[in-house]
Amino acid sequence: MNAQPFTSESYSGDAGESAWQDVLRSFGMQSLRARIGPPSHATALSRLSSAGVRLGKFSADAQTLRGLPSRAGLPLLVMPVENSTVLAFGDEQQIVPAGQLILAPRGVDWQVQFQRGLRAVVLSVPAEAFRGRKVPPLAACQPRIFDAEGLPDILARTAHATAGALDRLSEPEWEAVAQSAAELLLALSAELMTAAADPSSSRAALLQRLYATIERSIGGTDISIADIAQAEGISERYVQKLFEGTGESFSHYVRERRLQRAWHDLANPAEAAVPISEIAYRCGFADSAHFSRLFRERFGLPPRELRRREADRQTQGTMSSGQRGWPQEALVQLRSRQAKGAADTRRVVLREDGEPATAPSEAPTRHYLPVQAQHVHWGYFSRSLEPLIEIASGDIVTVETLTQHASDDPARMIEGDPGAESVFHWTRTAKAVDRRGAGPLDASVFGRGAGEGFGVHICTGPVAVCGAQPGDVLEVHILDIEPRPCRNPDFSGQVFGSSVAAWWGFHYSEFLNEPHPRETVTIYEIIADADEPYAQAIHSYRWEPQTDPFGVRHVLYDYPGVLVRPHTVTLRKNVLEGVRIPLRPHFGVIAVAPREAELVDSVPPAYFGGNLDNWRLGKGATVYLPVSVPGALLSIGDPHAVQGDGELSGTAIECSMTGTFRVTLHKKADIGGTELADLTYPLIETPENWVLTGFSHPNYLAEFGANGQSEVYAKSSLDLAMRDAFRKMRRFLMATKGLSEDEAVALMSAAVDFGITQVVDGNWGVHAILSKRLFSQGGRTAGEKGISIRPEG
Amino acid sequence: MNKHHLATHHLPATPETVHWGYFSRTLKPVLTLKSGERAVIETITHHANDDHERMIAGDKAAEEIFLWTREQKTLRRRGAGATEGPFTYGAGEGLGVHLLTGPIAIEGAEPGDVIEVRIIDAYPRPSANPAYKGRFFGSNPSANWGFQYQDLIEEPKPREVVTIYELDIGEAVVKALYSYRWTPQTDPDGIVHPTIDYPGVRVDHATIVKKEGILAGIKVPARLHFGTMGLAPAEADFVSTIPPNYTGGNMDDWRITKGARMYYPVAVPGGLFSCGDAHASQGDSELSGTAIEISLTGEFEFILHKQDRLEGTILEGLTHPLLENDDVWSVYGFSVANYLAELGPDHQYEILKRSSLDNAMRDAFRKLRRFLMTVHKLSEDEAISLMSVAADFAVTQVVDANWGVTGSIRKSIFAAR
Repeated sequence: MNAQPFTSESYSGDAGESAWQDVLRSFGMQSLRARIGPPSHATALSRLSSAGVRLGKFSADAQTLRGLPSRAGLPLLVMPVENSTVLAFGDEQQIVPAGQLILAPRGVDWQVQFQRGLRAVVLSVPAEAFRGRKVPPLAACQPRIFDAEGLPDILARTAHATAGALDRLSEPEWEAVAQSAAELLLALSAELMTAAADPSSSRAALLQRLYATIERSIGGTDISIADIAQAEGISERYVQKLFEGTGESFSHYVRERRLQRAWHDLANPAEAAVPISEIAYRCGFADSAHFSRLFRERFGLPPRELRRREADRQTQGTMSSGQRGWPQEALVQLRSRQAKGAADTRRVVLREDGEPATAPSEAPTRHYLPVQAQHVHWGYFSRSLEPLIEIASGDIVTVETLTQHASDDPARMIEGDPGAESVFHWTRTAKAVDRRGAGPLDASVFGRGAGEGFGVHICTGPVAVCGAQPGDVLEVHILDIEPRPCRNPDFSGQVFGSSVAAWWGFHYSEFLNEPHPRETVTIYEIIADADEPYAQAIHSYRWEPQTDPFGVRHVLYDYPGVLVRPHTVTLRKNVLEGVRIPLRPHFGVIAVAPREAELVDSVPPAYFGGNLDNWRLGKGATVYLPVSVPGALLSIGDPHAVQGDGELSGTAIECSMTGTFRVTLHKKADIGGTELADLTYPLIETPENWVLTGFSHPNYLAEFGANGQSEVYAKSSLDLAMRDAFRKMRRFLMATKGLSEDEAVALMSAAVDFGITQVVDGNWGVHAILSKRLFSQGGRTAGEKGISIRPEG
Repeated sequence: MNKHHLATHHLPATPETVHWGYFSRTLKPVLTLKSGERAVIETITHHANDDHERMIAGDKAAEEIFLWTREQKTLRRRGAGATEGPFTYGAGEGLGVHLLTGPIAIEGAEPGDVIEVRIIDAYPRPSANPAYKGRFFGSNPSANWGFQYQDLIEEPKPREVVTIYELDIGEAVVKALYSYRWTPQTDPDGIVHPTIDYPGVRVDHATIVKKEGILAGIKVPARLHFGTMGLAPAEADFVSTIPPNYTGGNMDDWRITKGARMYYPVAVPGGLFSCGDAHASQGDSELSGTAIEISLTGEFEFILHKQDRLEGTILEGLTHPLLENDDVWSVYGFSVANYLAELGPDHQYEILKRSSLDNAMRDAFRKLRRFLMTVHKLSEDEAISLMSVAADFAVTQVVDANWGVTGSIRKSIFAAR
């Protein structure tokens, strides 16, 4: 499970308090809040292992924590950080300086008072963490304080270091660390018993040694009481007696441990390739049919089923850790196979007896690009794509684009529309646009489908521009944007869009309400002909696993263009009732082909444009893109009816639209001294402003080389994007406005506005807006407020 | 509700009515107002000594406040740091720099309540030097805490540069007059300030070289606002004015201007409102470390919202500053939402290591989600969808230790609700 952040800031009033108590309760504690006065405040970061080990780092207002009684498990480890605390038990009170460890058994009533603010690391290990291995009966021991020396020191360091890295550890790393911490806590807990010198505890200690011996010899097919007794130098009878005292026979205990061990190995993804019979054998079961029966009796499911469930869970875990695009390992494999050319980038796949999807189109004679299967490339950019048309500088081209989210509501956004039907056509036997994304065609990474959905946008194009060469700049000016009306008679003439709160959204790691995580699709109607055009929600539904025509099940929204079958989802009406969102029609993707790689994921924007997701790129705006391959190869897609700065949930209101563009080529030789000189990034111009686009990694393909398409997702940050935007604006002011560095910095502080473009496209964006008014000679415009001096008196 | 204000009070800036570089729950209010009353409050920029001739000379109040000779220093403590020597920088150690007027107590304000501050107007403070009579000046240092400081491309590196501006109130624009590179300045107590590390040190213009003709022809539209407005926090006796936090403070958002209403959660009895750090203009990010720092006089109206009356209003569940104007509501996300509570005893230093837009974005997301769910009664899914398609997140500042991201939602989208 991923690290869970908690902050009371997310909640209103008492809801925050009770959510905080929930966090504490999961650790087996509660807060006896000594309110110093609101606003009360609490934050925590915690993580739970598959075995139930929970580690957390807390900071909150002054308060007292108390153990919740009767939870089975090891004593809680509480380590005060920075401030000392007071441990109260019975009539005793002890001061615990920061850096010491408190072991607080769960069966007795103790309190830890954080008088100067709660700052602590807490480790909770339930009995189940040891999968049936016996742990000593410690519930009734007294709490004890340890100095950080020897074993306690090792435990403290492990817990501190882990708490500091909770959100950065991968799933397998976290599981390994959590299990080690549990073992360390178990070892230290044994000292609580030795402190109490009564006969029962010495018996418990002996029993503990017997358990340890059994653990070491569990792989043998035959563990006898005699062997164990001999190893400990005691009589068989005594061994039996000790076990009887625990209410469980020796043989039953051994079998339980073996089954648990097998469960653990079966659930381990690293052992997924080991045959089940071999796992059974290594756990002491010579007969695998016998093993399967016992396993099923014990756990209620056959070994094979457990393995399948665990594999599913693992896949989901990887997904929800939030990385889109190529996984690192797959890229490594790809390199070792040395990918062949990309001749296959655009093809119609036909299976067996299928008929051709669509006849090849005639070369357009006018600059009008209708959308259909042969006119789009889906989810990737490529320098190798054959251009659909070649145009001259200054030409005007009208381009139909489709949203890849039309499949979220096929009745409203696909049916009856020949262009959309052609692109989305996908049956058991034919898929009009096979490759969707820059991944392998054979879907050998995740098995989602051709291209693996490493890139999702339906792009119309490319359009070649006559004479364009690397080093030139392509100007794309948006003359008009028209929404694409529905052609289904049921909704004729209406316009629809979809917005998905998806697994790559900024919110996905922290839901407040159950179930979490979840993906939600909201369908909007676009009212484009009102005086002030707006969007309003029609209904929403939770994403349910969809099986595509080739039989692949999509548990998450992980592959574009999978038609959502209406009967599989439950529509929620009355969504965002009365809320009208003013439109900001724009194209999310305007790109020229990048030079660095054959196939480039369409999701992360970079120097070549691409998925800019900036709503300022609407009618009347212009984007200037640095050309990096001959002909430039312009593609357009990802139309949005409206988006906010940030694009928080992962998508805008995605809505098919048609744009009319004037495309102008600026030759390298002609742009010295203009705003376009030395342009190495997408530059947006609106009637009022220059908008410069900063990215976490301005050219991630060059920066990370072969690993770029994976690394960019892992290493995105607004801090880096802010720095990039700052550097670009400084350069722009110095190079094109002739300012010194000091002037540029001063002007940026006084008059340039930095905003957040998006935090969901792998390569995060911060834009810098420079008002053209700063440089115009006119003063205040009509209607602007003047400044008055305060009258005396 | 059309409640007329009851009375307008006047709070001039004097040595008795200002405190320098810190918020404090221990300060005695200099004025106590009833809910609904107005006050005209003078503020003086802590950067006035960057050009003493233009921004202090002849202005009696400013002269007194900034007075610092070997024998006498009117405002000894500047910052929340040590007040017993030996000092590295000076009394208060410059741990907090803003010269604030206040505090003002609001009668009956208790922790849990919310104080609304309406900005009725803001007036620039004219130069009182006969040579510049009736003109308005401000200063914009590119300082060592600026985003650019470790990332300069021209020599010498690093460097601090002060640009002096003039505000043209007729055109409502600001124009640069001249700039100079900061040179080590020795204060009257003999401490040398090689960088801008202590507020109110008078720059000896004999030690600097003025550069004229800078930013020629460039007119920055004026955005008069108060960079620092807020209430006293409860967590410590003396708190630096630099990092903004849950009771407001150094928000550095130019939208906190005429026509805006700010709402602050009350943490101590009376609330204890202070303001200052006025700006003639600032861009989103305040990149160089400062805005165009200028002295302004503000007219404010104060309204107390009692805790038991918040339910069902936009203030329900408010634990952070909130802005409202004619067009939007804005919440303020910080790198650390309440650094005083979260970072322990060394919070003033620890916050410097936590500056991050990523965390500020996360905080802004959480706050806006809460606002939409609590105030507009949206489900979590509705709130998330709406935030993606209709909320705008912007960089407030990247220079105040506790970095800021503003999340804004337009009021008009709810008009039909």
